[in-house]
Amino acid sequence: MKKILFIAIVTFCITSCKKNEDTPAISFDELKTVALKDFTNNVAVPGYLDLDNAAINLNIAIQNLNTNATEVNLTAAKTAWKNMRGVWEQCEGFLFGPVEDNDYDPNMDTWPTDYVQMDSLLNSTNPLAIADIQNITLSLRGYHPIEYIIFGNHGNRTAASITARQKQYMLSLSEDLKSTCHQLYLSWTVAPTNFSNQVINAGTINSLYSKKQEVYLAIVNSLIAICEEVGEGKMKEPFDAMDPSIVESPYSGNSINDFRNNIIGLQNVYLGKYATNDGKGINDLVASKNIALDNKIQSQITAAISSFSNITMYYEDAIINQRLQCQQTMIALNTLKNTLENELKPFVIQYITD
Amino acid sequence: MKKIFTITALTFSVALLTMCNKAAMFDEAGYDERLSGGMATVFDETSKAFSHSIDGLNERDELVHEIGDVAFEQTFIAAPSLINGGLGPVFNNVSCISCHHNDGKGTPTAGFTNSSLLFRLSIPGTDANGGPLAIPGFGGQLQDVALFGKPPEANVSISYSDVNVTYSSGETVTLRKPTYTVSNTYQPLPSNYLISPRLAPLVFGLGLLQNIPEATVLSFADENDANNDGISGKPNYVYNSFTHRTELGRFGLKASAPNLLIQSAGAYHQDMGITNYVFPKESSWGQSQLDNLNDDPELADTTLNAVVFYVKTLAVPARRNVTNSDVIQGKLIFNQLNCSSCHKPVVQTGIDLNTKALNNQRIQPFTDLLLHDMGDDLADDRPDYLANGKEWRTAPLWGIGLFAKTNGTPYYLHDGRARTIEEAILWHGGEAQKSKENFMKLSKNDRKKLIVFMQSL
Repeated sequence: MKKILFIAIVTFCITSCKKNEDTPAISFDELKTVALKDFTNNVAVPGYLDLDNAAINLNIAIQNLNTNATEVNLTAAKTAWKNMRGVWEQCEGFLFGPVEDNDYDPNMDTWPTDYVQMDSLLNSTNPLAIADIQNITLSLRGYHPIEYIIFGNHGNRTAASITARQKQYMLSLSEDLKSTCHQLYLSWTVAPTNFSNQVINAGTINSLYSKKQEVYLAIVNSLIAICEEVGEGKMKEPFDAMDPSIVESPYSGNSINDFRNNIIGLQNVYLGKYATNDGKGINDLVASKNIALDNKIQSQITAAISSFSNITMYYEDAIINQRLQCQQTMIALNTLKNTLENELKPFVIQYITD
Repeated sequence: MKKIFTITALTFSVALLTMCNKAAMFDEAGYDERLSGGMATVFDETSKAFSHSIDGLNERDELVHEIGDVAFEQTFIAAPSLINGGLGPVFNNVSCISCHHNDGKGTPTAGFTNSSLLFRLSIPGTDANGGPLAIPGFGGQLQDVALFGKPPEANVSISYSDVNVTYSSGETVTLRKPTYTVSNTYQPLPSNYLISPRLAPLVFGLGLLQNIPEATVLSFADENDANNDGISGKPNYVYNSFTHRTELGRFGLKASAPNLLIQSAGAYHQDMGITNYVFPKESSWGQSQLDNLNDDPELADTTLNAVVFYVKTLAVPARRNVTNSDVIQGKLIFNQLNCSSCHKPVVQTGIDLNTKALNNQRIQPFTDLLLHDMGDDLADDRPDYLANGKEWRTAPLWGIGLFAKTNGTPYYLHDGRARTIEEAILWHGGEAQKSKENFMKLSKNDRKKLIVFMQSL
């Protein structure tokens, strides 16, 4: 028994030592570079690639629905829409760079939907080809008009009730969305923009960002902005007004998922993780200098994400019937935002000076 | 005892005299050059650099700023609608943020969803208030987009031709000169129409500019060039359609708006077709596109007021690299070329007891808020109140070094024709002709230093 214990201890020590040799401690300076690379290669680019693929899948599902308007195909289209929406909302955790510079965001995610103009458009003789769609106002393009057509109010749309004009419209809308998402992906991966290089090479003459600090601040600002957008915009406006008509994504009843995915997107960026990708994140930088702050941020992110589970009905109903739960989530988001603004941002300014 | 009394009295007198001394200003070195907006400065050089509220707002004011912020981003849609209704029927874009990208400039295209360029229209002559004479059926601004099923007033296409400029050292820079072609007018335009392109300007720091005393602006003016430096500087006096008075123009590219209320209400009205308490009548009044809905004003008074407060309380980004030797030398060159004669580096704001960060601030806006003749190449040949067809208001230069961050692709000048700061300088003419010529005589290295200085703003 004694012998076994001895062998076990020796084995443990050897294994531990070996691990240390394989992964030598990384300096803070190196970490600054690695975390930017990992954010780009593990979070941003894979996120946009998934979005690109999700848009293709939605387009295929809508083509199938157009060809064969069955309930099965309608359900498949709804699922594809929700899947794509989930990826996009997570990508909203880092809304900087081409997505804002080239207006990809408003091109696909403008709210509210313009029913008056939609009716005029559908009742007209406009061919509703993709070129026509790309020339119309933003409130008739992107996720929400597709959502309206395939879900109806709270998902009550039936396949048989979708008109031929609506079908043509949703086909072109999904083509347009596919095109926008592909351009967004290319903007991070190929010339002339190749925004990945701008981020990875921050602090060199090859980047728009003359210092690493600038790109880190851009990233942290985008985390603060999404907290603000969810907590003080998407949730608070309908909550304060007690007005369900202001809630975004009402047709699919997907609002809570949208909000949660936004904060999961924030978490992905902070941790440098996305799906099965794992790497160095801002958390590693923070933990190496101030473990208490990292713990605080991580626990506040987790608390904010978990708090959405307390809202158990459509958000447009919850603002009337579950006000306490809505309020608690907004408080959690506000707490997180304040920490990011008042502690993480100063941390970046203090420690990432190059 | 008498002696003690005398000493005490003398001590008192000295103390009193000392107390009567007016506090002196610091000398130049006593100020932190980074603080472009004084207390209303924010340290951020990311794409959100223009989007911060000023520090020190009380809780209520923070809330109003936030409400204004949200409203600034709202997309308007056709009426009737439960939310954000009232767009158009003719308009230029659907939200404030569509044109003022990241609270800055936008893209010099027209008629697209991301376009930030609009066109003012008029015919020769002046209206009853001394303003441009609107064109019947078109008004004073061309709305090149319309609700589905309605005709826009017209379309405008933009083409550019190359103009080469050669430095004395032999290097050549290719500028692009815009040509605007109006087509598809929904009804004929009179042949003598005048058209003026305007790229959406920056919207931060406006509370500070509004708070510069009129006397200060007038002190910069030299309308008849009494000092013979070739630079005049003329105030624009414009009609305030809310107070029904003639007032000093401060905002807009020709200083044709007297304050932020008129500027913002006018933008809602003309750019988006949203009626409000300042402009309650549809911009398409009397035109075939009119919606005939009894829903005016379409914008809540509180929303307009919140947006006015929002732009009033957007902070100015701090300067960067102020101790860099090239930046310091570039600043000297800026002054030596006399750029600072119009682009006033330092101005003191007036009293605002409600908003501390706007009150009595030493700011670096690099504008005198006056009109200057900018030469034939930049002329729009369209008078706007006292501004003639060659005159433009001096553009503030604060934040100019951040355009690449806030806008993706930076554009400069009133119509966005310049793609670099160097191109913008080379377009200067008129009163700035001499400064430009001297710029062109500089060595390449000195020209670079000047640009580096401007990029620090």
